[in-house]
Amino acid sequence: MNALFVFLIVMAGMGLSFEAGLLGPLGEQVGHLWATLSIFGVGAALLWLIRFFTPQTTLQGWQSVPKWQLTGGFLGPIYVVALTLSTPVLGVAMTMICVLLGQITKSFAIDYFGWFGMPRRATRPLRVVALGCIVLALLFTYLGAR
Amino acid sequence: MVLIIVLAIVAGMALSAQAAINGQLGERVGVVQSALLTFTVGTVVTALLIFFFEPPYQATLLTVPKWQLAGALFGIVYMVVMVAAIPRVGVAIATVATILGQMVMSLVIDTLGWLDNAPIELNYWRLAAMLAVACALVCIYLANQQQEHVNE
Repeated sequence: MNALFVFLIVMAGMGLSFEAGLLGPLGEQVGHLWATLSIFGVGAALLWLIRFFTPQTTLQGWQSVPKWQLTGGFLGPIYVVALTLSTPVLGVAMTMICVLLGQITKSFAIDYFGWFGMPRRATRPLRVVALGCIVLALLFTYLGAR
Repeated sequence: MVLIIVLAIVAGMALSAQAAINGQLGERVGVVQSALLTFTVGTVVTALLIFFFEPPYQATLLTVPKWQLAGALFGIVYMVVMVAAIPRVGVAIATVATILGQMVMSLVIDTLGWLDNAPIELNYWRLAAMLAVACALVCIYLANQQQEHVNE
């Protein structure tokens, strides 16, 4: 049924690790910020082309969008620079586990406090268990790296 | 090393904050346009940082092998796949499938030292870590499924 799409997502997830694996050595050679620029520069150019040649809803009112919703672009570089800095030191797997840990804790906070206009919801016990498992995974990779 | 670990965790937090912000923006202006805006702002910010803070390096983006510049393609392919797949398979499966792919491939890259990375031996600690991630995935899947059930 949807097995094809699940397979596609797994492949796409592998692509994300590939991206991280490419960034580390690239950053060592040309500088971490330049490596970051290669991601955002190429990405912006490609997206511009995609937008140009695919049908888009006509933009009504960029003005009416709250300004804080336009700030996502400031956060992206933090992530990419951190990737280029950490993969040479931690390896790709450990970096990914750290990122996962950060994502899960932050989504807790976002859900719990209702930040960024998301609906508030109670923390589910299962998610706390998931967080515990990820912390454990980080600990294991840390021990394994020594 | 601990400092770098903290940095990577903070990066994950930034990523999830960005996802929340972009989700809101995407509902208004569409996924492609919100991503385009993110990447454009990211390009400008990075360019500013380079002007003022980047020390000179011997190699440049123009002299390294071209395949090293392909990173952005994977990010965009991921975005397109998610846009196409989430309505069909749901967020719960999509999240788990993404992390599964990330973990498997990162282990392969680390162990075999692909893409010019220093190889890292696959020891029992790392296998145990993957087992823990697998447990986390089961929990995330179940929690997300409950969520979707409630939303229906």
